[in-house]
Amino acid sequence: MNTLNRRAFATQIFLSALLMVGVGGGLGFSIVDMRHRISVSANNARVMEQSIAESGRRLAEIGGQVAAEQSPEVLERRNQSLALGLGLPRENQVVRVAVSAGERLAAKRNAEIFASENGLVSMPIRFNLGGAPR
Amino acid sequence: MTARGFATNIRLGLVAGLVVLCFGVLAVRLVQLHVIDRDHYLSQIQNTRHDIVPVLARRGDIYDTRRDLLATSQTEITLAVDPWALSKKLDLPRSPARREKVASAELEKRGRLAAELGMSAADMEAFFTPSWRDVSVDRDTRDEVADGRVRVEWKKLREGVSEEVFARIAALRVTGLTAERTYRRVYPHNELAAHLIGFLNKEGAASGGVESFADLYLSGHSGWREVERDGRRTELAQFRTREVTPSNGWGVVLSIDTAIQHIVEQELGAIVANFKPGKATIIVSDAQTGFLLALANYPTFNLNAYGSAKPEVQRNIAVSDLIEPGSTFKIVAAAGALNEGMVKPDSKFDCTLTTINYAGKVRRFMRDDHRYDHALTVAEIISLSSNVGAAQLAMRLGDRPFYDYMRLFGFGERSGFPLGHEEPGILADPAKWTTPDITRIPAGYSVAVTPLQIHYAMGTIASGGNLMRPQLIRQVLDAQGEVVYSFKPAVRRTVLAPATAQSMALMLQKVVSEEGTAKVAAIPGFEVAGKTGTAQKIIGGRYSDRDHVGSFVGFFPASRPRVVMTVVVDDGHPPNGRIGYGSVVAAPSFRKIAEQLIQYMDIKPVVAPVTGGLIARNEKALP
Repeated sequence: MNTLNRRAFATQIFLSALLMVGVGGGLGFSIVDMRHRISVSANNARVMEQSIAESGRRLAEIGGQVAAEQSPEVLERRNQSLALGLGLPRENQVVRVAVSAGERLAAKRNAEIFASENGLVSMPIRFNLGGAPR
Repeated sequence: MTARGFATNIRLGLVAGLVVLCFGVLAVRLVQLHVIDRDHYLSQIQNTRHDIVPVLARRGDIYDTRRDLLATSQTEITLAVDPWALSKKLDLPRSPARREKVASAELEKRGRLAAELGMSAADMEAFFTPSWRDVSVDRDTRDEVADGRVRVEWKKLREGVSEEVFARIAALRVTGLTAERTYRRVYPHNELAAHLIGFLNKEGAASGGVESFADLYLSGHSGWREVERDGRRTELAQFRTREVTPSNGWGVVLSIDTAIQHIVEQELGAIVANFKPGKATIIVSDAQTGFLLALANYPTFNLNAYGSAKPEVQRNIAVSDLIEPGSTFKIVAAAGALNEGMVKPDSKFDCTLTTINYAGKVRRFMRDDHRYDHALTVAEIISLSSNVGAAQLAMRLGDRPFYDYMRLFGFGERSGFPLGHEEPGILADPAKWTTPDITRIPAGYSVAVTPLQIHYAMGTIASGGNLMRPQLIRQVLDAQGEVVYSFKPAVRRTVLAPATAQSMALMLQKVVSEEGTAKVAAIPGFEVAGKTGTAQKIIGGRYSDRDHVGSFVGFFPASRPRVVMTVVVDDGHPPNGRIGYGSVVAAPSFRKIAEQLIQYMDIKPVVAPVTGGLIARNEKALP
């Protein structure tokens, strides 16, 4: 190989090395940037995870408070303190109807319809003036 | 002339040498860092950056049948103080003015912290005052000087701080204040169903009740992760290496209903106020499935203050305490004799007898409280609760068959109820019976049973002849609330033919009739079947005339049973010195609870309603 070719080859090597350093540096920076982004994303995920856990904890706490407030004992105390008078009906207050509620409502509704078809329902009224009714 | 360019031999050699030198320096440094000083730096990293963080699993919740919370887990924070942290911070190189400013700011923060925790500022300062602790010199390795004393770097400030308060405290950023988050078990209904639910103690170990029995489902598995932290102890999330995620505990749905349980516990409170018993228990179950709807005992305790509850009040006496059942036990002899076809409901027995010759021996009957002027039918033996009649029914059956029926009804063996250390009861084999036993056992003496056994014996008649397994857990839910497993009603064994059960139900209705022993348990418009029981207690080796176990066990509506209920009052003392008969101390409570259950559970009367005539009258009133 002559001298000229050798130098040209060395120059090429030198330039290639510079290029490789540039590419390697760029690649390095890219990797650093990527790692930075990964850490930012991971940190965001961690914060979000903590936030979800925090929400779960708050939910559990509120759920417990709601359950405590809905306890029969507490409700009864409120019923008394607010003088609401709420309570289960007693058997002697209940009128048990042996026919089905549907039939009963239908009968009532039909009676109203038939009454309107016949026009006004008049009822005879007798006034007893000046004396006791006979 | 040929251009030589940059790449002369000397220059190339210089550049190559420089590059080699740089790489050589790098290589030497790398070898130093990664080979020679490797252990030193690794240990530094391990100490400062590496950390293993436990991730606690959340214990599953316990619900009632309507999915109301009975037990849940909430986080709470334990606050602690490193009293030396501030002095370490102030020792950092900074100007005196700056140091003064930092100290003053910290003092103000501690004042606000004291206010948040309801402490005086002086008490708070005492926590933050650096102190020393004496240790043996050979164990003094925590600081550089082995002088037999070490710094106290951790003082517990407060336990059980709520998340809400902690959020405000954390915002203060007090130097030296550390926090640890733990789960705390909370029971929103305090005393309600205490013996069924059980509790979790300070160490997190389940104690009693469903907490203990279903611990496998409820507890879950904690996880952990390996993390690295930066200089400010903040986790570097990108360096999470290994992670085991926690699996939260599963939920458990019980068959009890908080409303029914509350009704029962209210009535138990009334029993305690009126009769001042030593113990009392009320059990309510579904007649067809055997699932418990409520179970309450007196004495009881607050689940959120279990620490102050004595061991004896934590006992589930419905399953752990034995009593002589008294007359409620008469259902066994009657049902057995009926089921074997040896008697009919109208078969008559002379109950005026005082002795009888049985199996070659003269046996003396336990006397009845009343004298009868006629022979009693089987139905009357039950409704009037004749000891003599019950003994004759058992004799009609014979020792061994009677014993077999007792076993069939579940006496003398554990029912399989998983909570509360269930006792099997005491039921001697006929080979070991003494001469009077055949007259006493049918009347509920010389045997020891648990209230739960009596309850499920009566439940056998209510269910049409099947002895049901007592069950409390209806469903198991996964961490997302989806049903994983549903428990079905379980029949332990068939004891009676349905016709026998029906006959018994009819006879037991007479107990609450005008002529029966418990007319106070009657509910107008509803068929109530039941049996009173009054057993004298053995005090000092003798049957006491003053101390009794009064009980009432029954079900309703008798022809289509929905609910079985047992009321047992141990050593109840009614006012005016009356005896604590079952009809006095237990039957009225049965009726009061039943009346409320009728409304709550929408139980319809099977008999014609007393207001049936209203329909005709109302129809006339229609417009």
